[in-house]
Amino acid sequence: MTYQKPLPQPNADTRPFWDGCKQHQLRFQKCRNCQHVRWPPSILCPLCYSHDTEWIVASGKGKIYTFVVYHQAFHKAFESDLPYVTAIIELEEGPHLLSNIVGCDPGEIECDMPVQVAWEDINEDFALPKFRIVEISKGPDT
Amino acid sequence: MSLKDKYAIVGIGYTDQGRVPGRSALSFYVEACANAIEDAGLRREDIDGLISYRYFQPAQGEREVTPYVIAQHLGLAPKYLSQEANCARSHLAHALGVLEAGLCHYVVVAYADNALSNNRFFDEISVDRAVFGQFGAVADYAMAARRAMHTFRTSPDSWKQIAVGQRKWANLNPRAMFYDRPLTAEDYYNSRWLVEPFRVADCCLVSDGGRAYVVTSVERARDLRHQPVAIMGIGQHNPSCYVDQALYLAGPTGAKLAGETALKMAGIGLGDIDACEIYDCFTYTVEITLQDYGFFGPGEGLDWFKNGTIEPGGRLPVNTSGGQLSEAYFMGLTPLTEAAMQLMGRCGDRQLGAKTNTKTPEIILCSDNGGILQTHCCTILRKI
Repeated sequence: MTYQKPLPQPNADTRPFWDGCKQHQLRFQKCRNCQHVRWPPSILCPLCYSHDTEWIVASGKGKIYTFVVYHQAFHKAFESDLPYVTAIIELEEGPHLLSNIVGCDPGEIECDMPVQVAWEDINEDFALPKFRIVEISKGPDT
Repeated sequence: MSLKDKYAIVGIGYTDQGRVPGRSALSFYVEACANAIEDAGLRREDIDGLISYRYFQPAQGEREVTPYVIAQHLGLAPKYLSQEANCARSHLAHALGVLEAGLCHYVVVAYADNALSNNRFFDEISVDRAVFGQFGAVADYAMAARRAMHTFRTSPDSWKQIAVGQRKWANLNPRAMFYDRPLTAEDYYNSRWLVEPFRVADCCLVSDGGRAYVVTSVERARDLRHQPVAIMGIGQHNPSCYVDQALYLAGPTGAKLAGETALKMAGIGLGDIDACEIYDCFTYTVEITLQDYGFFGPGEGLDWFKNGTIEPGGRLPVNTSGGQLSEAYFMGLTPLTEAAMQLMGRCGDRQLGAKTNTKTPEIILCSDNGGILQTHCCTILRKI
């Protein structure tokens, strides 16, 4: 069955991000002047107004800044996912990214839990950066 | 020179509201404006400024409701017409600006929509959110509320008191969509999850109808029909970040600086406020707004709302029409027009004072915010 959910609509600003996703890389702009890593993409740094920008690849590690659990679908293609979780991920490089938390019971999720990117290849053109909760190591067995 | 007490709201326009099928958005705009002009005791020839909302896509088969279309249908040829007025919360400041500049003398401000019959879905246009199944303002505000649960330990137990308290006001207001429907704490907890942590009972109504008001100088207001309601203080703060980058979801939101600015202009403190009309797109919005204004500290809302603080008979009435949760949704005009009506003493069974065992109001504080807490306006009104 073909993919029924909305697809990314890359534009001139976001195309490098989605191109990176296809290669399972989370790419963000970094200001070469003040080192601020920004999202969404922009022509200049919102902190120092420098145009001097490079794209970096983020680690894919972060924590859950906030999340919600959908109990109603506002789009038919999401009905079979209910209840599903959308979240804002605070990446360790700084930017926040809206995504989904997958692979766990929504009832187990709390803010500030550590997460790691989990790529979902949805078709030939796009991969989506979703996130899984990282099991916290209890330390070495003694 | 300060604008304190220099301009006044002098007329309010209502329409049928709630579910009112078979009506265009334009028809509600035109009716609300005409009623506001008549209510002020003015003639159409007097109106030389018109500011209205312009952002939503019109319903199928309807034309875009621009200010000049509204003016045409009201037989107006204003000296000042807003053309790109997206934000209801900015309209009063906008009106004060053109009045102060001497561009006109009587400005009508209006918002209307056939949102309920037209099944309007309130969302920002942003396709890449939809990729992850993020749709609508409910989820975005629910994300803010969830962060607040984590940051200062609020919960549905606080929001319940807001939903239940406001419903008691709606039950005194025959115009309110929930006039006939009481809401108990049990009803609140039984309300189904929409986007958790929000239940249906945490969300504002979607309404057909319109609302308008007329603003002019206090000097001109004294010759008109009603007790003038002066703009004593006004302040805005617009932190502007979209929800996914915002670091103020659990406060301080724009309410903090906007509130301080408005109180400073009015030259008063929170203790001088007799009632509040707070923009209540969701229950949590009321909590964070009152918290950021300083009525209580972070996390103290649960105790502050207890024992009917905001209800009829309470020590600080909030959203006395039922608000957007229980009366009807007309953006920032729901709170602002209710404050003006209360100060004019025209609120019937819900009138603040002896009738509802509350203080007769001299000063009422109003809020309006937009986007997902990106923008905020605080307006303080008083009898003059």
